[in-house]
Amino acid sequence: MSTLLLGVALVLMAGIAAGLIRVAVGPTPSDRMMAAQLMGTSGIGVVLLLAPVLAVPALIDVALIFSLLAAVAVAAFTRRRRADNGD
Amino acid sequence: MNLLLALFDLLLTLTLVGLAVVTLTSREPRRAVILFIAFGLLLALVWARLRAPDLALAEAAIGAGLSGALMLAAARRASDRNSVSTEGSNREDAP
Amino acid sequence: MDPLHLVFGASLIAGAFFFVAGTVGLIRLPDRFSRLHALTKADNVGLGFIVLGLMPLAPDIFYALKLVLVWLLVVIAGATGAHLIAKRALRGDGEDVL
Repeated sequence: MSTLLLGVALVLMAGIAAGLIRVAVGPTPSDRMMAAQLMGTSGIGVVLLLAPVLAVPALIDVALIFSLLAAVAVAAFTRRRRADNGD
Repeated sequence: MNLLLALFDLLLTLTLVGLAVVTLTSREPRRAVILFIAFGLLLALVWARLRAPDLALAEAAIGAGLSGALMLAAARRASDRNSVSTEGSNREDAP
Repeated sequence: MDPLHLVFGASLIAGAFFFVAGTVGLIRLPDRFSRLHALTKADNVGLGFIVLGLMPLAPDIFYALKLVLVWLLVVIAGATGAHLIAKRALRGDGEDVL
């Protein structure tokens, strides 16, 4: 079972490494933010899979923080330009 | 099992170093900030792999989340200030 | 290997497949909105399958509830983020020409 978990985590890690290409070359900032969001979700998956493999159950709190802060990052990214100047 | 773990570590480390190089050599502020957020995520993954969930929590919350949001706001204001002088007033639709 | 473990293992593999499909779509698809479409499938379905596959390994009921909570938060954040990004891209909020 542990081998299967590690294999799936390895596949997800390869997905993160491939998503890095889109973050680096993505033509618009929206593409970069999308790829960062996918990397965050894959990171949640990797942390959830590592928790039973490494026998550290507290890692699920890390996954919770990841999932909370993904929304914060996207919301900060999509704020409109002049809306924060008060005019 | 051990081989898979070693492969996982190798992939994680290589991705982290590549991401650091791309982040440091990028010229646009927004691109650098988004890459920095991704870097914080991967660094939190490294702490999680090293069985340090407390450090991973702190890195994900402070490094990737809060300072990422603050730096996005700062980059937007910087680009705002730069483009006000050049593009004039073609954005009347903003509230 | 009893059949129950087989089902959960298959669920883990299905989750990995959805993540791979989402990543390939993010890299290969031609324009922004189709990439957004690929991204949301990977987020919601892929992580859902992985959480489902991790269920039998949960040591107690609270751990299982936390797993479901993580998935719910990701679904909510993914839907909200996809709408925000798509709206921003449709409006063409100026910053893309930076």
